[in-house]
Amino acid sequence: MKRLPIVYAKDLSGRKYWRSLAEQQNDPEYLEAQHREFPAGADEAPPEGDVSRRGFMGIMGAAMALAGMTACRRPEEKIVPYARAPEEVVPGNPLFYATAFPWMGSAIGLLVETHEGRPTKIEGNPLHPDSLGATNTYAQATVLDLYDPDRSDAPRIKGNVKKSWDDAAVALRDVGAKLKADGGKGLAILTPEHRSPSLEAGLADLKKQLPQARVVRWTPFGRAQSRDGARLAFGKPYDTVRDWAKARVIVTLEADAFLRDGSPVKQARGWAQGRNPRHPAEGATVLNRFYAVESVYSVTGACADHRLRLKPSDIVSFAFTLAHQLATAHGADLGELTGALAAQRKDQGPAAKKFMEVLAKDLAANKGASLVVAGENLPAEVHAVVDLINLALGNVGDGKPVQHVQPWNEATPEGGKAVVELAAAIQANQIQTLLILGGNPAFDAPADAKLADAIAKVPTSIHLSTHYDETSALCAWHIPRAHLLESWGDAATEAGEVSIIQPMIAPLYGGKTDLELVRQLLGDVRKGYELVRATFAIDGEPAADSEKRWRKMLHDGVLAGVKMPTEEVKPTYAPTATAVKAWVAPQGVEISFQPDSHAWDGSFANNGWTQEFPDPMHKTTWGNHAWVSPKQAETMGVVEGDVVQVAVGAGSVKLPVLIAPGMADGVVAVMLGQGRRAEGRVQTGIGVDCYPLRASNGLGFAAGKVDKQGDKGVLARTQEHFNTEGRPLIREGSLDEFKKNPKFVSELVEEHAPLESMWTDRDYSKGHKWGMAIDLNSCIGCGACMIACQAENNIPTVGREGVLWSREMHWIRVDRYYEGTPDEPRAVMQPMPCQQCEDAPCEGVCPVGATAHSPEGLNDMAYNRCIGTRYCANNCPWKVRRFNYFNYQKNLSEQKKMQFNPDVTVRARGVMEKCTFCVQRINQAKIALHREGKERVEDGAVVSACAQVCPTAAISFGDLNDPKSKVFHKAWSVLNYVLLEELNTRPRVSYLAKIRNPHPELEAAKPAASEHKE
Amino acid sequence: MSAAPVPVTSDVDDPSIRAPLVLGRQNFATVSDSVSTIVERKAPKTWFLLLGLALSILAILGGSLVDLVWKGVGRWGNNHPVGWAWDITGFVFWIGIGHAGTLISAILFLFRQKWRTSINRAAEAMTIFAVMAAGIYPAFHVGRVWLLYWVFPFPNQMSVWPNFKSPLLWDVFAVSTYATVSILFWFVGLVPDLATLRDRATTRTRQIVFGIFALGWRGSHRHWLNYERAYMILAGLSTPLVLSVHTIVSFDFAVSVMPGWHTTIFPPYFVAGAVFSGFAMVLTLMIIVRKAFGLEHLLTKRHLENMCKIILATGSMVGYAYAMEFFIAWYSGNDYERYAFVNRAFGPYKWAYWTMVSCNVICPQLFWFKKIRTSIPAIFVISIFVNIGMWFERFVIIVTSLHRDFIPSSWGYFRPTLIDISTFFGTFGLFLTMFLLFLKFLPSIAISEVKGVMPAADPHHHDDRHEAHEGLTGGTGNEDHHESDPEAVHA
Repeated sequence: MKRLPIVYAKDLSGRKYWRSLAEQQNDPEYLEAQHREFPAGADEAPPEGDVSRRGFMGIMGAAMALAGMTACRRPEEKIVPYARAPEEVVPGNPLFYATAFPWMGSAIGLLVETHEGRPTKIEGNPLHPDSLGATNTYAQATVLDLYDPDRSDAPRIKGNVKKSWDDAAVALRDVGAKLKADGGKGLAILTPEHRSPSLEAGLADLKKQLPQARVVRWTPFGRAQSRDGARLAFGKPYDTVRDWAKARVIVTLEADAFLRDGSPVKQARGWAQGRNPRHPAEGATVLNRFYAVESVYSVTGACADHRLRLKPSDIVSFAFTLAHQLATAHGADLGELTGALAAQRKDQGPAAKKFMEVLAKDLAANKGASLVVAGENLPAEVHAVVDLINLALGNVGDGKPVQHVQPWNEATPEGGKAVVELAAAIQANQIQTLLILGGNPAFDAPADAKLADAIAKVPTSIHLSTHYDETSALCAWHIPRAHLLESWGDAATEAGEVSIIQPMIAPLYGGKTDLELVRQLLGDVRKGYELVRATFAIDGEPAADSEKRWRKMLHDGVLAGVKMPTEEVKPTYAPTATAVKAWVAPQGVEISFQPDSHAWDGSFANNGWTQEFPDPMHKTTWGNHAWVSPKQAETMGVVEGDVVQVAVGAGSVKLPVLIAPGMADGVVAVMLGQGRRAEGRVQTGIGVDCYPLRASNGLGFAAGKVDKQGDKGVLARTQEHFNTEGRPLIREGSLDEFKKNPKFVSELVEEHAPLESMWTDRDYSKGHKWGMAIDLNSCIGCGACMIACQAENNIPTVGREGVLWSREMHWIRVDRYYEGTPDEPRAVMQPMPCQQCEDAPCEGVCPVGATAHSPEGLNDMAYNRCIGTRYCANNCPWKVRRFNYFNYQKNLSEQKKMQFNPDVTVRARGVMEKCTFCVQRINQAKIALHREGKERVEDGAVVSACAQVCPTAAISFGDLNDPKSKVFHKAWSVLNYVLLEELNTRPRVSYLAKIRNPHPELEAAKPAASEHKE
Repeated sequence: MSAAPVPVTSDVDDPSIRAPLVLGRQNFATVSDSVSTIVERKAPKTWFLLLGLALSILAILGGSLVDLVWKGVGRWGNNHPVGWAWDITGFVFWIGIGHAGTLISAILFLFRQKWRTSINRAAEAMTIFAVMAAGIYPAFHVGRVWLLYWVFPFPNQMSVWPNFKSPLLWDVFAVSTYATVSILFWFVGLVPDLATLRDRATTRTRQIVFGIFALGWRGSHRHWLNYERAYMILAGLSTPLVLSVHTIVSFDFAVSVMPGWHTTIFPPYFVAGAVFSGFAMVLTLMIIVRKAFGLEHLLTKRHLENMCKIILATGSMVGYAYAMEFFIAWYSGNDYERYAFVNRAFGPYKWAYWTMVSCNVICPQLFWFKKIRTSIPAIFVISIFVNIGMWFERFVIIVTSLHRDFIPSSWGYFRPTLIDISTFFGTFGLFLTMFLLFLKFLPSIAISEVKGVMPAADPHHHDDRHEAHEGLTGGTGNEDHHESDPEAVHA
């Protein structure tokens, strides 16, 4: 019987020791024997041809008899207890470790829940400034990536041939030796955008030894534009840190600040802190005013009080016009830039003009407390102008909404142009060795770089990657990369607060980190731990203090209070003025490039959770589409689902159209990151690769052509109907309405007589009474709650087919409704978990009583008792119950099974399931409480997964019987309302009406909209 | 021995003249013969052909259900807003069909509607087979069929009872009671006829089999007395069931909170609909049977016409219910309710709604015309339309209410899968197979009861009595009974 040889610890130096002459000479007989437990013939049938009929019968007979015997008893599974129990591990109790998730030029602090060494769920780290306890969808989904069975499990060489780690080590050593010999000549290192001090130190050391090496940074969605803008405006590519909480007036220009640009989680929280409408008796109302100018309707735009839709090039003109208006009408000092702006002004019609004038007035009136944000899709000159506006308005500095900090490594060329240059250098045979530290540049590099061809040309190329992907296939060597949750590392936030990335589990498939690989190239075989530790060592510090500091950093997950100093910036108007003058709008239909809400830049394409996560605005899953406004669709003569060919330059792709209300006309948005060519059980065959359209001179948007094709595509959507039909589901009003009549929310529905129940009411006044309040003022509709719930509660994915048959399983969904015209709709979001009705309509109708009430008022499901009549789901007015139409959890990989939360049942087919208010967390808190001899769970001790992840803390969960709890406070708010109250099911989930803060001058131009009637 | 086909006449409009229920020069012997020979002779080729067809369709049902149980309920098109679709539609459809049988055999019996005698046996059989077909659905629509027995209240180690609040549980009781009583009623009615067959039997097997099921029937006065009592009691038991079963089935919907389901009109509306659809099905089957087996003299046009009248009446009731639902939806002032009904008629499923209205409300109105209700092809076509319409009625109620309820974000659309279609199609295979077997192996017309309504059974018709006994063979003694049973004679 073949077996794997015992794995010895790798000798990372690349030296090879041998045990016998046979081994040293790689004797084939020895190699064969090494894999065998017994000599050939002892446990296997003799080779073919030697078996006589009689012998065959004998073997088969014995096999049958033995096979029969195994059926006589159950398979025995021995449980091996820990011989020496790890400290702190109590079987059944999860442990939480701090780490960080590098994201969009910043980092989100994490606390990872592990069960007996298996990471199962990711939470935000409340101590971390860019998390504050929250995360985004991608951070939530990364735990599933850890267990991706498609991950690469061995180093490989070209042609997808697996090699041993020893071979790889030898190869690396040889490459390193050669490089050292000629000072790194012909070496290029391509890294994704990162903020890791250890990696930076490693690269710096490498540069010292190999001075001729060149390092290039490329990330398809990064912050290169904003740094280039700062370079224009201030002469140095500063990083920009924005504190939304400090701003009273905010304007975003093509910036999806809550999902993409900047540090989204922190920004969303900051914005929400400024949205706190209260009854006069409850305290002062805090309400910022938020303007959004954008081409694609983003969740950020949906949160705005005023939204202007313009195509991207018009947004550039708008920014210039706004700057000019501020300089000329409101005394903002923009120096010689003003003249350049005057030439680039554009009249965009009366509505846009009015918008611009009011906005300028509002910004000027709130000097020092206003914030202008430009998105990464806009060119550097707009970022420069925006930086200068912020400076001129006095918004920049410590304690102000905007701070500029030292750039990470300004010497390293980054962005699309740098990649084009690298590719050109390769084509000119200047590069012999290419080290790609993560990322997938062959897939996502600008089309004009033709980087894939270039990589294939490099004689020695090494790609570090978790998957054997498009880039790996082109490289001479592929080295498996350890997943974030398996790695030692570090990551700084945009403001410079550093977190340690610590592993939760030993690499499942071996795997190295980028830190280790950079060092190993030059023969430094220190482990990630030692490398990171060394980064944070302080010379001369006593060992005990150093250990203490290190442990505290690991424990807290962040080096609290230590960040980069805010830079005093000085404007340099001339380069900006030159750039503004030189700016020319592209002609024709503009193609805007967006990260896919599922696959992001392609790195999450093989993740079932993100693929099935409905796009926050359009509720599409499993695939990407060309988004166009209704008018644009009319112009193009297409309806939803029609396949169009989108062409930019030489590249063209075909994908189905999605009609996106509220988008600007004259623009087609395409999502990048789908259509992966590398094999993956999730990603294969999903979506269309749109990277061929994206060139280095138009990373944000570019002029292109769109032609209708004959074919039709089908959109897999989780929500099809976006009109509330005049039902009082979403309640909202303006600040004025609220001030005039704080009780307007309850008056939006007709008064009715007190409702009575047929049944004897249960008394919930004693003990706990769990409830939830969802604040529509701060909900941005990002959907992080959906993935958090999926991870926490072992919710299956159903695939594209499943979504097409409307059988998605999410326990909480985020409903999105439009109000107004298709051209200028206003979008509202509404998270919808099980409402946990006290008098639940689902309970009465179950013939077997599989769903019933707990004494604390939870509507519980007994999965074991459920026979699956689906009557409960039919009778649920909120349609939050989910039925397992198939055995979705049946054919799972062993790896995926490790992700399961052991505290939650994995449901079989034919069973109904639904939101439980994370009852496992409630019970865990109660067990802990009983141990401590306390009576009641304190507020905050139980947080449901959805409430925990929410970037804006829009979801409050707790005990409605506890007058000190946050949820109690919200439940009794004057803005509170309950959905479908007239059904008298008495839901435990309530909503807080949304209060908008429109500018009176702009509002006058629009009809009042407190109702959702069409 | 069988009587030569007699020209069918049933144009007796004058109510003072009692139209004959059995046509032609019939006597007890010819009646016994014409029914019994179907059982005794070798079945015609058509029967084998039809049985083969029915069995093939039944195999489709089997295949569909195996596929369904093997892979999951997702093989049907049911989805998230629409948890019930063709499954419960099929269930209500078949249960409804069954109603005519019970109505004909029990209620018409209690009301002394003598014309029922020639159709009641087949109608009762139809009831039982329809309930069997209906039972397929609640059993197989659940996610875990293997745990279905949990719906029955039985003491168990889990100490768990079913939920007595749930209308689905009421359904379990209602339908199982209905099935039991229907089978008993049918069987009790069969006993004298089985005895006739036993006595006529020429082979040993027949003698034994019919002998066992005839329960030792000798036609004695005591037998007849007990028989009549039992029959009367079972008729009495069945009568409320006609009303209760569909009332309770309607509770599945009426008790819920869904707009479009939550209405108090459902019980009477469902019962009327059930009778309506049941009679349509009886008509469809009887028209075929009387032609195929030459029973025009027993299943006269008058029978058909009477059934048409019932269809006209119940069809109008159903139409009234449709209108009233709309009126109440408007009158209630409940926005959700209003929307549900507007959506039915003008939403994505409007095609289903208008199919239903055309078939159920407009079609049967043609029966106001005597020409149409006496034209066999017209009756046949209309009865088929009514069957289609009543299937659509259940589909409309179930699917259009579910697909768009309170929260617009979760609105969806239901599309049937191939397995949905094959399962429903397959239930006809079950029904037809059972019905064909019944036609061949059991007396499809109640011999003893038909004899009871013949003029010969009337002791005052002395001229005819002689005729009635002419050529009588076999000794069932039925004729004695009719002489001495005052109830049968004077009723």
